[in-house]
Amino acid sequence: MRKAFIVAEMVARDLLRRRAVLALLALVPLAFYLARHDDKVGQAIRFASLGLAWAVSTLGLFSGTAGKSVEPRLRLSGYRSWQLYTGRLCALLGIGLLLAGAYWCIIVLDQDLQRPFAVGLQLAVTVVVAAPLGLLIGASVPRDLEGTLILITLIGLQFLMDPEKSSAKVLPLWSNRELGTYAVDNTDSGYLQRGLAHGIAYAVGLTALTAILAAVRLRPRRHMSVAPRAAHERG
Amino acid sequence: MSHHEAQRYATAPGPAGSPHPPPRLEAAGICKRYRRSAVLQDVNLTVYGGQVAAVIGANGTGKSTFLKICAGMISPDRGTVSIRGSVGYCPQQPSLLQFLRPDEHFELFGAAAGAGRDPSRRAGRSLAGALSWDPAVRTQARHLSGGTQQKLNLVLSAIGDPDLILLDEPYQGFDHGSYVDFWEWVFRWRSQGRAVVVVTHMLNSLDRVDTVLDLTHAQTGAGIR
Repeated sequence: MRKAFIVAEMVARDLLRRRAVLALLALVPLAFYLARHDDKVGQAIRFASLGLAWAVSTLGLFSGTAGKSVEPRLRLSGYRSWQLYTGRLCALLGIGLLLAGAYWCIIVLDQDLQRPFAVGLQLAVTVVVAAPLGLLIGASVPRDLEGTLILITLIGLQFLMDPEKSSAKVLPLWSNRELGTYAVDNTDSGYLQRGLAHGIAYAVGLTALTAILAAVRLRPRRHMSVAPRAAHERG
Repeated sequence: MSHHEAQRYATAPGPAGSPHPPPRLEAAGICKRYRRSAVLQDVNLTVYGGQVAAVIGANGTGKSTFLKICAGMISPDRGTVSIRGSVGYCPQQPSLLQFLRPDEHFELFGAAAGAGRDPSRRAGRSLAGALSWDPAVRTQARHLSGGTQQKLNLVLSAIGDPDLILLDEPYQGFDHGSYVDFWEWVFRWRSQGRAVVVVTHMLNSLDRVDTVLDLTHAQTGAGIR
């Protein structure tokens, strides 16, 4: 785990030093939140959460594609592919959850909520789905531009599709609406259970799929055979 | 052995006085095509510990492709690569985390080989010192000059004390002094018993290497000195 931790630390440092990028990404949820601030409370929070998803998945997309050039070299140097993937994912989750915490504070201070911790849960689940989503898109496309277009399409659909339609459940962030309804409209725990089940299932599925892609990309090649050097072979 | 046949093989004898230790790198029958164009055809290279091999050839003859195949970064269409020991690889273009400082790179790459932070930093700084570069400054990689980024790129390939080092034109952007330092560095590695493979087209250094693989005629073969 020490190796995965150091990857997480270095990826986090690399991302957190991009201050202008982080500032712009942090403003996305705020812009969405303010755009619906005068509507129903639930809508404003749902939009802020989708803005958070957009920010975190964009960070994941760019981080994932940037890592493609250095990760094969790190793999050759002695890292395992799961250590590289887990480290990058942990860095993204850490940054995303920090951002979620900040927005939870803003929302709780700004709104009169009966279930404030459920809003926190909604934002946290959003981050846990969005981080591997961005990494998965980054792992599936050759360049940032293609990934950005896919991300815009996905998040755009998330905004536009009626969440009541069964087809909307296919979208990765459908849980956001269920958890938001539970948190704001004081509905029964069925919304909480459905939202959590959907969010966890997508988080696990996206994480597993990205891990498989990383393992394939960084696999030991079939033409290679590597044997350890005997101790006496070098002076 | 015909001229063309000879060109495909580059193998220097094993180190004198040793009872034929196994080679550190043995690439056999490497073939690679990009679409319809054959880049490498039946290329062979054997390098023992304590040897330096140079891979030379005109632009587009597959030097970098061959090194990537040896490093396991890409697969050949045919052929095998056997490696004995640990490997360090220096790509032609620096692959760095642009917002990290040199010391942080040393820690990241040192951890790959199981080294702690302090030993990794010390090792990186010591290797950098041999290239007349002091990496102690807290400058992020993106603010380093092109030549200094390349030095960082090179140092990272040697962190962890690898047994085989694969270098793909690692001196681009070096001034003359750094270039001289680089070759001295390479020959010091050789004297330490490591195997080194350098992609180069600086032919003036070839008289000091043990093996030359010329890929100029790789579509039909590769040359041996």
